[in-house]
Amino acid sequence: MQALYDMYSGALLGVIARIIQHQEIAEDVLQETFIKIWNSSTHYDASKGRLFTWMMNIARNLAIDKVRSKDFRNTAKNQDIENNVDSIDAQSKITFNADILGLKDMVTALKPEFHTVLDMVYFKGYTHIEAAEELNLPLGTVKTRIRMAILELRKYFN
Amino acid sequence: MEEVKAYIESGILELYVLGQLTRSEQEEVEAMAARHPEIQTEITAIELAMEEYALQNAIAPSASLDQKILSSLSSLQSHQEEPKAEQNPPRPEASVVSLAQHQPADSRVRSLRIALAACAALLLISLVALFSAHSKLSEAENQIASLSSQNQKFAATVGFMKDHNQDLQKIADMTADPAWKIVKLSGTKMDPQAKMTVYWHAAGKHVMVDNSKMNLPVNDQTHQYQLWALVNGKPVDLGVFDVKSDTSHLLLNMKEIGVAQAFAVTLEKRGGSPSPTMEKMIAMGGVSI
Repeated sequence: MQALYDMYSGALLGVIARIIQHQEIAEDVLQETFIKIWNSSTHYDASKGRLFTWMMNIARNLAIDKVRSKDFRNTAKNQDIENNVDSIDAQSKITFNADILGLKDMVTALKPEFHTVLDMVYFKGYTHIEAAEELNLPLGTVKTRIRMAILELRKYFN
Repeated sequence: MEEVKAYIESGILELYVLGQLTRSEQEEVEAMAARHPEIQTEITAIELAMEEYALQNAIAPSASLDQKILSSLSSLQSHQEEPKAEQNPPRPEASVVSLAQHQPADSRVRSLRIALAACAALLLISLVALFSAHSKLSEAENQIASLSSQNQKFAATVGFMKDHNQDLQKIADMTADPAWKIVKLSGTKMDPQAKMTVYWHAAGKHVMVDNSKMNLPVNDQTHQYQLWALVNGKPVDLGVFDVKSDTSHLLLNMKEIGVAQAFAVTLEKRGGSPSPTMEKMIAMGGVSI
């Protein structure tokens, strides 16, 4: 578990923290994520996918659940004035927070709009259907753009 | 392997890795991957890319967090048995919940407040409208009531006028018709001012009293005037009548008589008497032939 933590805590927190701007809460969710991974490790099927993909989906779903929980909204409301900016971001800018915890600029030949769709789905907790509505694009176009973006990443990482 | 290629190019594998598919769609992808190794290879390649992408965008947790998480995990471990990793139940479905449903609490409160204010304003407007409608309605009802009472009055007046006219016409006819005898009764010593007119149709035996040509004092509740015909010296009762200040009919039908030499009126007790009280005779007149 120590090895798992060392290897993936940063990557998982990267996803959680872009959905939940509040550092402490994001780290709480990271802890919940590891507990859930631990408790449901019997549900992981190596033949169906990589471990990280599975952990990533757990982390993202917990983060989204948290953002939508009443508890979280109340916490965000009760913050000190110094933290107001954060709490406002956390409450209303979940969908537009890329600039605050900026995603690393990938040197790819890809057009930015292709990445936008992928980042919305991968890092910001959108479903691809919501992303299509938000960007006012047909669902087919969103699927194509996600595929193009991932193809580009594959090329880039090889 | 056109089918496999098209399947890969459809983009469904990317959505699968991103946890965007429903349970049944997931199972379909897993079945396809089990049948076609190329699809499994493609999925792994996508996963690796996404993994690398996440690692590139990693955020380091606070230094103390690892101890906190690992200690909470080891306390969990002491409470439960080693989980069996070789069990392979289906991978849990990623729950997809709409983000758009989640409104920030503040703006929801604000919009609720606006809605409340709008409701209150609407209620106020409705009340004012209701009140004005109500007052207009009662005004209209009053108008209808007064119009209908006016209408009734007119109808009564018209009815009265019609009767009156009919009676006047009859009087005019009777005066012109020689078969009708006009008998003028004049006052006796009881009231020298008294006078009245009786129309008599001897052949038809009709007797009528003309209210318009009558000058008798108004009788009280216990008395009535009684008309008599003198037939060969004997008085014959022709019925009773009232004299009121506001008579509605000009003509009054009395009992029939075929033969008479004179008519007389006495004041009797209410309902009349079998024979006239001579000292109460107020008017009389003979029939001129």
